[in-house]
Order: sequence, then C-alpha cells, then structure tokens
Amino acid sequence: MSILEVNGLKKVYTTRFGGNKVEALKKVTFSVEQGEYVAIMGESGSGKTTLLNILAALDKPTSGTVLLDGKDLSQIKDSHISAFRRDNLGFVFQDFNLLDTFSLEDNIYLPLVLAGKHFTEMHQRLTPIAARLGISEILKKYPYEVSGGQKQRAAVARALITNPRLLLADEPTGALDSKATDELLRLFREINQSGQTILMVTHSVKAASHAGRILFIKDGEVFHQIYRGNSTNEQLYQKVSDTLTMLATGGEKK
Amino acid sequence: MRKMFYAKLAWTGIRKNRKFYAPYLLTCVGMVMMYYIIAFLSVSDLLKGMPGGETMQGLLVMGCGVIGVFALIFLFYTNSFLIRRRKKEFGLYNILGMGKINLARILIWESLIISGISLAAGLFAGIVLSKLAELGMVNILAGNATFTMSIAPKAILQTLALFAVIFVLILLNTLRQIHLTNPIELLRSESAGEKPPKANWVLALAGAIILGGAYYLAVSIEDPISAMVWFFVAVVMVIVATYLLFIAGSVAVCRILQRKKNYYYRTNHFVSISSMVYRMKRNGAGLASICILSTMVLVMLSSTVCLYIGTEDSLRTRYPRNINLDTAVSDVSLLSEGRTATVKELSSEIAGQNGQELENILDYRVAGWVGYIRDGRIETESEVMYSFGTESNIWQIYLVPLEDYNRLMGQNETLEPGEALLYTTKLGSYPDDTITLEGGKSLTIKKRVSDFADNGVDAMQITPSMYLFVPDFAETVTPLLDITDSNGRKMISLHWFYAFDLACDDDTQIRIQEQLQNALNEANLAGEDGEVVSILCEGVAKERSGFYGLYGGLFFLGILLGIVFVFAAVLIMYYKQISEGYEDQSRFEIMQKVGMTRKEIKKSIHSQILTVFFLPLVTAGVHLAFAFPLIYKLLALFSLTNFKLLVIVTICCYLVFALFYVLVYRITSGAYYSIVSGAREDG
Repeated sequence: MSILEVNGLKKVYTTRFGGNKVEALKKVTFSVEQGEYVAIMGESGSGKTTLLNILAALDKPTSGTVLLDGKDLSQIKDSHISAFRRDNLGFVFQDFNLLDTFSLEDNIYLPLVLAGKHFTEMHQRLTPIAARLGISEILKKYPYEVSGGQKQRAAVARALITNPRLLLADEPTGALDSKATDELLRLFREINQSGQTILMVTHSVKAASHAGRILFIKDGEVFHQIYRGNSTNEQLYQKVSDTLTMLATGGEKK
Repeated sequence: MRKMFYAKLAWTGIRKNRKFYAPYLLTCVGMVMMYYIIAFLSVSDLLKGMPGGETMQGLLVMGCGVIGVFALIFLFYTNSFLIRRRKKEFGLYNILGMGKINLARILIWESLIISGISLAAGLFAGIVLSKLAELGMVNILAGNATFTMSIAPKAILQTLALFAVIFVLILLNTLRQIHLTNPIELLRSESAGEKPPKANWVLALAGAIILGGAYYLAVSIEDPISAMVWFFVAVVMVIVATYLLFIAGSVAVCRILQRKKNYYYRTNHFVSISSMVYRMKRNGAGLASICILSTMVLVMLSSTVCLYIGTEDSLRTRYPRNINLDTAVSDVSLLSEGRTATVKELSSEIAGQNGQELENILDYRVAGWVGYIRDGRIETESEVMYSFGTESNIWQIYLVPLEDYNRLMGQNETLEPGEALLYTTKLGSYPDDTITLEGGKSLTIKKRVSDFADNGVDAMQITPSMYLFVPDFAETVTPLLDITDSNGRKMISLHWFYAFDLACDDDTQIRIQEQLQNALNEANLAGEDGEVVSILCEGVAKERSGFYGLYGGLFFLGILLGIVFVFAAVLIMYYKQISEGYEDQSRFEIMQKVGMTRKEIKKSIHSQILTVFFLPLVTAGVHLAFAFPLIYKLLALFSLTNFKLLVIVTICCYLVFALFYVLVYRITSGAYYSIVSGAREDG
C-alpha cells in the first residue's frame, strides 16, 4: 500500500522584484510504499528542498497533490497543519535543529510535550529508542556538549518518538564526518528494517546508496530512478555515481 | 577624499543599525537635554531672585551631579549593548582587510557623528524646554515670571564639557574592546554556544535572606530616627538582594520547576521554563536594574509629591498660627499677668490698626528640655545623651500647666499634685505609669491624652516630644530651672507661647508681623538684673516661600529625576526585547519545524515576555509596599504625618507608573514580535 503519493507537483516562485517566475518543480510524480527507504538525489537548485518542504506541509504547491495515507495535505486546515505534521511526520535536518536551551532528553520529548502526552508515557517511549540509537548515556547532556553524530542521533530519536508514518530526512549526513555518517546510515537501515518508512533527500552518493530506491531529480522533474534489487551497497554506489555522471554530462533521458 | 570615505562608512553603519542607534541617540539627546535644563535652572537669575529660589537652586546643583553620574553609567551601559551587536560587522570589515587602525577611524567618526547630533539636538531641545521648566518652577514657588527667553552660556559650557568627557570615555572603551578581540571572535561573538545556567543556590538563598532582613528592618523600625539611620542600610540591602534574586534566584526557581517532571513536561510550561532559565541568566541584571530604577522612581515621586502637597500642612505644624510669639523667660514669676498682658495688648492693637482681629488664639506656658529616658527617669547628662545608640530614647520634654491644657483643649481635667497627663508626638510612646524628673520628683501618669496644640519646635526636631500636663506648674518647674550642663548652661528653658491667626493676605500679615516686632522691641519688657525676657516673633507668611523653595524644589527634582530614570528603564527594556527577539528567532523557527503551532508559539512568547516584563514592576511594588512604613516615618521628620495622603499618593504614583510601563510594554513587545515572526515568514 502506498503511504505517500505525489501527483504532478508543480511549484512556481515569483521573485520579489519584477515578477520573474522561477519554476522550482515542473511536474513531480512518484509514490512511496509502506516500509520503503527512498532517497531523492539531485544537484543544488534541482528542487529537492522545495519538494521536501511541500511534503512536510511547510510550503504549498502551485498545483498537483500530495497524499499521505490517502489524505490530501492541501485539504488540511491551517490550524491543524502543525498538529498533523507533529503526529504523522518525523524530521531529521542537516543542521540537527536541536534547541540549545534543552538537554538532549528534553529535545527528544519536545514533540510529545507539544502533543500533550503524560511524562510517564514519554519516558516509556524514550527508553527503547534511546537504547537503539545508543544515546541512553548522554540524554542529560546539552547539545553543545556532544559530537555532531550524537546530536544527529538525538534528532533521529526526536523524529521517531512520535511513531511517525513517514520519516523525512533532509541531508542528514551533511554536517557529519565519515565515521558518524556510516553510523547514522547504519541506524537508518536498522530503523527501516524494523518497518519505518523513510524518505531522504541527499546529494551524498554514499547516503543514497544505503536506500532501497533512489529517485533523481533534475530541472524540477523526476529524471530517473534506481531500485536496489539485490545489489550490495557497493554495487548500488557504483550505479548511483554512474547515473550522476551521466546527469552531469547531460546524458539522454532513459 | 579618504577621510570622507570613513565618515561615509560610519554614517551608513549608523543608518543600517538604526533600530539600535535611534534609541541610543534619543537617550543621548534626552540626557543632554535634561542635564542642560537642570544646569540652566540652577544658574537662572530669575529663580535666584525669587523667595525660596536659592534653596531650590541648591537642590538643583545636587540634582545636576546625580544626573551627570547617572548619564555616565547609563550611556556606558547602552553603548556596550551596541558594541556587542556590531562586533560581527567589525569582524567582517577586519576580514575584508581593514586593520584595527581603520576600524578605529570609523569608530571615531561614528562617535563624532553621534555626539555631534546628540549635543546639538539635546541643547536645542534643552534651550526650548528650559523656559517651560523655569515657568513650572516659578509656579511651584508661587511667583510671577516674564515670558522672555533666555540662554545660560555657563550651563551650555557645563553640559558640553560633561558630555564631551562622557563620549570620549565611551569611545575609548569601545576602541579598547575592538583592540582586544581578534577578527574570528569578532565575527562569531554573537553566536557563541552558551552553557545552561547552573542554579547558584548559595547566592539565591543569600538574596532571599538579605531581602527578608531588609523587609524586616523596614517593617520593624519604630522611631523615625532609627528609620533615618537604617533607611540607607535597607536600601543597599534591597539593591543587593534584588540583583541576587533576579540573577541567581530566578534560575534556581526555574530549576526547581524543571525537577517537577509532571509540571515541567506540559505544553505550556516546557518551552517557557526552559527558555526562561537562559533569559533570566542573560537579563537578570538588566531586569534587576529596571526593578531598582522603578522602585527609586516610585519612592522618590511618592515622597516628594506627598511633601509638596502637604506643604501647607507642614507649615501649619511648624507655625501653628499665622503669627507666633515665643517668649523665653528665666523665671516662672516673669510669666505673670503684667508682662503677658502687655504683649497681648500690643498684638490686638497692631492688628486693629491694620483692620484685623486676633483669631484662634493659642496661649500657654511651657517648660521644655531635652532628656534621655532610662528606666522611667528623665536624665539630662549630656555624655549619656549624645553617645551613639541612645538616639531612640531621646525625647523633647515639655511641662505644661494643666489649666492651660484645659483652656486650650476645652477640657475639664483635674489632677492631684504629683499626677500628670501624658501626650506624645511623632509615633513615640512611653509605656510606664510613672515618670521621674531630674531631682527626684516622681509623676504618676493618670491619663494619656491624644492631642495638644502643635508646636514649632517639635515640628523642627526629629525626636518625639513628650508633654506632661501638671496641676502645680510653678512648684514642679522651679527646682528644675537650676540644672545646668557641664558648661554651666541651663538645661531647661521656660516659655510662654502666644500665637494667633489673622484673616488677611500674606502682605498684610508680614506688615503686622514687622510692626509687632518693632513695638515689642520698644516696649522693653525685660525686668531687673538677671531676669531675661526675649521674644521671638515668627509669621507663616514670611516663611512660606522658604518652605515652598525646599519642598517645591524636592518635588521638582523628584519629577525630573523620575523622568530620567523612567527614560532609562524604558531603554533597557527596549534593548532587552530587541536582543531577545534576535536570540529567539532561530529557536522558534526550530520549534515550528518540530510541530509547534503558531498559536502555541505566540502563547509561549506572550507568557514569557509577560513574566519577564512584569516581574520588575511587581517586585518594585512589593519593595514599595515594604518601604512604605519607612517612608512614612521619614516624612514624619518633615512634620508630615498625614497617613492617608501618603497612602493615596503612593498608590497613585504606582498606578501612573504601571500605566506608563504597560504602554512601553506594548510598544517594545511589538518590536519583539516583528523580529521573531519575521523569521517565521522567511522559514
């Protein structure tokens, strides 16, 4: 069953002066199945971030629809959009977006507190997640006291604690060193294997090569996609980098 | 050409940062203006020529000093805020290849521009408004003024000199700061990661204890003299405690709340408390300053307004009647009918010549001395009396014949010899039933009475007075008259008070007073050798302007300083709001991404701002409430004992101040919202 359906998404920005129109997304159509791990690749300016913002209901498309669990995002009232986002989507950002006034633990609790959950329930939910992400020991620390990898794992915990339908990750490895990157990608794999649907936007070949399917966006359109099939990470890595080379050198559409 | 380049950079720097520079400039202009006005008034010839004007100008010179010092501290404070905001810009210039020398040139230009504008605008505004202030002052002194504009070159020079020094000092400080930091630090200085503040329990506790102590002092002190001594101690304690509590105490409270998991992890509390901790750490000092400034304004305004409104009351207490004759004699026998009759006749005769009649006549004999009451004895040894720590047991003692009391108060009390009626003034009280006079004579206090004629001596002194009304005046007083101190001076003086009201205007009263004075001098009432009779003749009309000079001066100064302090408080608030706005911008952006609704964000912002903003106001109110007993006792020293007036004036001052505060809140929180929500629109 598809958890996310994106149909004919179009987004046109009007620049502030002179009314120049910029087409960030031309016509994006794809769907994500329950339990899938999808990576979206594309160069800077290809519309990745716009797409993610629309999926996250932070931005509205000019035309086209986004259905999450069969529900049209554009039909949700403005007053409910935040609650909807909180209950159904989990976010992992490139720059972590942890609040430096909170300890890691409190950062992770934030969405639950906003949802009005009771402390005992929050605590019960946190314990297994923290253990799985290996951050049980550092929960009391503050963001400025831990490494980037640990911060990102805390951010993942924050995204997962609401049991979201879909985990959206925006360049999650962008600010991490290679060791922390490997660690995070391994965690994403594990999380995905336990049933969590993940949609990741990245331009790191390595990050993409951990996914089950890779979509390539160019000039506001889905240009190409690769399924993992039975490939290993290394084989997938090769395929992805071939595709990217082809895209960069202006290869023909398949 | 190159010179103009730096000037241009400086000018764009100021213009680009006008959100910060505009209020700073306004403050500078305001300070210059205020200083000039006060300096102008203190040298104004018009005021000098007025009755009471000199007293007032003396006070104004003092006010000048206060404002000068305050301007220095305050401008330094606001400027340091500006520097913090602009370090990033300077860092960028530095990285783009500008040396520290070049930066210094920009800064010098900047401060030239700033000081030029503020001195020019400030002096202009000051000169324009000084006439208004002068008229206000003349009005307070109850005089007439011409409407000619005047400028005081001396005041202008004084203002220019003071502020030139202040601006140079500020510039030097800025240069020092820029010089000490390297470009990377300059670039980064605003976004340095911050440790979560730790609750400093010791300081928090110390703050609470000190505040408790100060409050206890304020409430428990009974007599005005100790009140005066302890007032300053209490003020210092309150200031220290306020700083401690706002800086350490607030963090400690937040920490306690954070430990209560079921309270802390609620939508409403979670974000507010956790950001509050940081907010208080950063702004505790600023908030404490606002609180203390507010308290100062309130105390100053309520007491000076009260004094001013109560001037007539005070005058009446100090001079019980329009004309007061105080005849001092050396022996009881000199108070006999003959002499007093002459004085009375002269009085009514001179009043009659001016078409007036004596009204409301006050006529009584009294023996007065200063004594130290210990174990039910009134002692007069000066060594004991003037040693430290005894001030609360010093009394002004008056012995008055019972017949005079009965006559004046319309009573019909009777007493046996050895008995007395007791009346005490100024919150003083004497609990025992007997009292022993020097020389061993003991009096039984038969009754305590609640009123007697006002007495100018009592009004002038800070000690309370004790009246003892005795049936056998001559017998009781005579043995006391021989008591002398170590220098051989008589301790006890014998008086006859004769005072009356006149139903005429001040000029006529002054004429009558002068004629009476001359007539009494000519009458030569002194008797044979060794007998002393001296008559002091005082009139309210003649003294009124002096009183208004003093109380009106205090009142005027209170208002001027009040304006300056309020000004300062507003500016601190404004900067606080703006700087917090920028700090909170990114935080609220993240929260929105995590799923906080706009409504929740708004609610959270609102509750935090409200707390931070009104905490100082509420605390100032509490301070004021506890200071109230002290103020009341201090005002009693100015012979102002109108409790109701003080309560009403204090409450009114608080309400007016609160109104003003809310207004400022609305304006500055608007600025805050626009900064915070600006980020959300972009995100």
